[in-house]
Parts: sequence; structure tokens; C-alpha cells
Amino acid sequence: MDQNQKPTSLLDTLGEEIIRILTPVSICMFLVVILVSILNNSSDSSGPSITTIASIAYSEDSSDSIWDKLKGALLNSLVFVAVVTVVTFLLVLLFYLRCTKFLKYYMGFSAFLVLGFIGGEIAVFVIKDLSFPIDAVTFMVVLFNFTVVGVLATFMENFAIFIKQGYLVVVGMLVAYWFTPTWVLLVAMALYDLAAVLLPGGPLRLLVELAISRDEDIPALVYEARPVTDHDSVPSNGEVQRRVWRERRHIESDFIDNVEASSESNPVGSNTSNASRVSGMSLSLETNERERNLVAAEEGRVATLDSELSAPLIQHRIDVQLNLQEGPSDSSALEGIGLGSSGAIKLGLGDFIFYSVLVGRAAMYDFMTVYACYLAIIAGLGITLMLLAFYQKALPALPVSVLLGVLFYLLTRLLLENFVVQCSINLLMF
Amino acid sequence: MTVAAGIGYALLALGPSLSLFVAVISQKPFLILTVLSSTLLWLMSLIVLAGVWRAFLPFKTTPSSSAWLPYSILILSSVVFQEGLRVLFWRIYKKLEDILDAFADRVSKPRLFLTDKMQIALAGGMGHGVAHAVFFCLSLLTPAFGPATFYVEKCSQMPFFLVSSMIALAFVTIHTFSMVIAFNGYAEGNRVDQLIVPVVHLVAGMLTLVNLASGGCIIGIPLLYCMALFTLLHCGKMVWKRLADSQNR
Repeated sequence: MDQNQKPTSLLDTLGEEIIRILTPVSICMFLVVILVSILNNSSDSSGPSITTIASIAYSEDSSDSIWDKLKGALLNSLVFVAVVTVVTFLLVLLFYLRCTKFLKYYMGFSAFLVLGFIGGEIAVFVIKDLSFPIDAVTFMVVLFNFTVVGVLATFMENFAIFIKQGYLVVVGMLVAYWFTPTWVLLVAMALYDLAAVLLPGGPLRLLVELAISRDEDIPALVYEARPVTDHDSVPSNGEVQRRVWRERRHIESDFIDNVEASSESNPVGSNTSNASRVSGMSLSLETNERERNLVAAEEGRVATLDSELSAPLIQHRIDVQLNLQEGPSDSSALEGIGLGSSGAIKLGLGDFIFYSVLVGRAAMYDFMTVYACYLAIIAGLGITLMLLAFYQKALPALPVSVLLGVLFYLLTRLLLENFVVQCSINLLMF
Repeated sequence: MTVAAGIGYALLALGPSLSLFVAVISQKPFLILTVLSSTLLWLMSLIVLAGVWRAFLPFKTTPSSSAWLPYSILILSSVVFQEGLRVLFWRIYKKLEDILDAFADRVSKPRLFLTDKMQIALAGGMGHGVAHAVFFCLSLLTPAFGPATFYVEKCSQMPFFLVSSMIALAFVTIHTFSMVIAFNGYAEGNRVDQLIVPVVHLVAGMLTLVNLASGGCIIGIPLLYCMALFTLLHCGKMVWKRLADSQNR
């Protein structure tokens, strides 16, 4: 409509960082839903029936009454949360004793297990369902290569970011499919996450404080959204980049490229003149010099940082690896959202997994619940990001989304479905 | 129905939205966020309506007396509620616009252009349309995969899914573009535009009541498409005029 040379509008890049986190979350959920629908469609009990930590105290029997099932579910959840707490404290202890190497190797090992064994088993199920002609030797070779590349991707730092992100999504998807919890367990985990991150005695908070005080990184599996500019000189994922203090040095073009610092007023309305606030999309960083002009390489935008803003940028993530077949679970899920050293938003893999698990569970019922839960989770994620911008410290990513998701699931299943089906059957729409 | 047919029905209802999304909305991340939040808002409106009407459904009617009255009340109340929600959406959007303008001033970028505002309105409308299509049409498709298909007696010329996709397409068009008309009407204080949107929505909703009669969908669906076409044309005319005005200024 207009002439071609139009000044770049504000709308072009606003909100880009959020989208970069939303996209992989959506892809992971989508894949889990597809997996669930393929593998649950065919037959009821061909899916993996496993005794995991999730059901160690009580295995559901269809002949039990509702009350028994509820009690059993609660018991399961308690056991699970207890185990997770113990393991988290163990991790804190290990970190305290500086056994970081051990943790790193352990992470690589669990990545290997997940990709190799769980991935392999799920692949076998899919092949069986779709009657895909492939022989065992080829399958083994392909699986082995896939697994090894995955392990390397999580280990090494300067790996191609796209592959790394892809592998993280795959790992998230596999664990999410494998780990089918009850709704009670999901809510319990959400509450645990809330407690663990925010309470002063919580294990996650201890971990974060330890990491800050020692100025070290926590080895974990984290998904970091690509920095807004396409220049990826900062290695992401694999190792958590923990940033307490971000000093703005003189302009090195690399450095600036990685920083997307636009001040934006907080939608909640607290707009202080001195401090530049964030609304989850980017963070104004501490600068040594005042009145710095940052030039984001892509857009040629000029952002003025008004004052110093201390931004303790914390993130910590330890992936949830439920070592299902080999015994009790080894590591625990620490969920939280933080900001990576490049200013991009980081989301822990545990969060991916739990979101996908929730959506997968909804998929077992019907697709309407899937859409509703998806929207609820995205909304929860958005709210958490806004809170992150507001409070600027590590926040648990799980509670808001999970609670919203469960709420919407129940509402949809009980209320919406009946209404919509009634109307549609009579071809009445509005 | 087969998977191929299912995908076909889904694309029938959502195809134009998908191309609109890829061409216009996916370029700007903010618009994607607008679509998502708009979809969420309308989903919540549907849930509230479902909650309210839960107690009354299904309507018990004898075969002789049709269920005209209760259904028309249902549609009337739903449309009124949704139009009220649209006004609320507009208010929220106004606040957002102020915040965005303030932010633009701070980072020394130009304020929102007219086309930006229209794009946001379009994204909001698309969220509404997508919510409608997904919940009224798509979510019924997926459980029905399998060998057979389903016909409704009142409209036995086509499978039920085809009919519902076609209706969904009309409604998606209506919703998407009436949001643009509505926002424009509220911005300019143009009464005609402001009133046209609820009227169109109501008329479209009532038109679907025709489907209750046997064979009614043969009349109902083309009329619905007339409404959709009318909305499209009116929106196009309005946008053209507005842009021409702002150029001449």
C-alpha cells in the first residue's frame, strides 16, 4: 500500500525475544502431542508401562474407587516430591564441594541415556505402529550416531546453535513422553518449584546463591533463546551462563551485537524515570558509563540507558533426568527462568518437559483440551516473563503455567466441550 | 474421515488465516503475541458462556416443536457478551497504544503508524477468528479420524465436517475483519462503523439458526457468505479511505 521505503516501525522488533522462546516450547509441545496421538491411538496397552518413581508408591488399578485413586495419587506425588527434594539437596552439596566435573559428566551421561534408550524405545514403537521398513543394523547405527551427536551437542560449547537447540527440544520431548504423571503430581511439582526457588531455605535458592558467591557456572541443560541479533558469538546452553553483573565495556562490535538493550516501560505501569525497567523482552544492563548509546547492529536503533541498573541476572537450571530403568531418579528438576549472558531469555529444560507433559496429558483426552492448555501455558509463560522483568531475580517458571493449564483443562473438559458440541451438532455458530 | 480429508477440512476453515499469518503476522513478533492473547481472550469468553449455559443444555425439545427460541436466546446472549468483550478489548488496546507510544518516544523511534494500528487490529481479529475455527470446527475433526464419516440429517447433502468447515471459514472472515472495522470506528468515533460490527455479528449468528430447519443449510450458508463478503468489502473500503485521507493530510 505505502511506498517501499518506510522507516522501520516499532512493531517490527518488539517482542522478538519472547517469540524466540515461545517457538521451541510450542514445537516441543506439538511433537509430544503428535507422539501421544500416534502411539496412543493404535492400541491401549502397547505403550510403555513402566514403574517409575512417579508411581512407586501406588500403581493405579482401574478397579479401585475414586477415593483410592486420589489417595494413591497424592501418595505418589508426595514420594516424588520428597525424592526430588533430597536429590536437589544432594546436588547442592556436590556443588558446594566443587564436584562440578562430576556433574558435567553426569549430565552428558544422562543425555546419552535419554537419547539412546528412551529415544530408541520410542522409535521402535513408532516404527512398529507405522510399519516402517527398516532393519535392525541400520537402526542401531543411526541411533548410535544420533545419540553421540546429541551428547556432544550438550557438552561442547561452541556447537552450532541450531543443532544444539534442536537436540534440547528432542530431549525434552522424549522425557515428556516417557514421564506420564498424574495431574496431582503436576500440581505438586508446581508447588514444590514455587517453594524451592522462593523460600530462603529452598534448595534451588541455595544453589543459586552458591553459584553467585563463587562466580561459577552451574552445569545444567538450559535452553537459551537465540540472541536477537543473529550474531552468535556467545556460546549458549550446555553450560549455564550465569551473570551477576554485566559490565558494559567499550564498544566491541561483537559484544554489542549480543546485547539487546532497549528500555521499555513495564506494562504493569510502574514507570520510574531513573531505572530502566524491563518487560521480559530485554534487560537494561549495568553500565559503567552513563548515557551510553547502544547500537543494536541489526536495526540501527539507538537506546539510551538512563542510569545504572543493577540487574542480578541469575539463572540456574538442572535438568530433570528421571533415570527410569536403572533405579531411583538421580537428579531433580529445577525450574526457573532467568536471563542469559547475552540478554536472551533462558528457560530450563525441565520447564519444557513439564509443559509438554501437561499438554501430552491433555492430548490423551481430546484435542480441544490440548488447544486450551496450550493457550493457558503460553499465557502463564508470558506472565512469568513479565514478573521476571518486574522482580529481576530467578523465578520459578512452573507454577503459573501449570496451574493455569490445569485450570483450563478442567474448565474445558467440564464446561466448554458440552456447549460447543451441542451448538456445532446443530450447525449453530456465532 | 481419512487423514487426508481431515487435513482438507482443516485447511478449508483455516487456510486463508494461515496464509494471512505467514504473510503478515509472522513478520512482526508483536502481532504473533497479539494473536495469541486475543485467542486466549475469546477462549475465556467461550468458557464463560459455556459455564453459564451449562445448566440449560441440552435443550429438551419434542421433535415437533423446534428449539428455535432457546437457541436464539443462546446465540443472542453469546453475541451480546462477545461484543461487550470487544469493547473491553478496545479499552485495553488503547492503554497499550499509549504505553507503546511512550516507549517509542523513549527509544527515539517513530510512533505507531496508522498501518501498525490496523495490523494490530487485524491480529486481534484473527485471534478471534482462529479461536472460533479451532473450537467450533477443528476440535471436532480430530476425534473423528477413521474409516467412516458423519452426516447430519438436517443437512444431508454433505458430510457434517465439510459444512462446519465452510461455516467456520465464513465466520473467520467476519471476525477477522470486523475487528479492524470496530477499532477504526472506535478510534474515529464513527457511529456507523461502531454499530455495524455487532449488527453483522448478530445477523450472522442468527443466520445459522436457519440450519435448524431441514435442508436449511442450503440457504443459510450462502447468506452467511454474503455477510462475510460484505464485511470484507466494507473493511476494504474503510481502510482505503482512511489511508487516502492520511496521505493527503
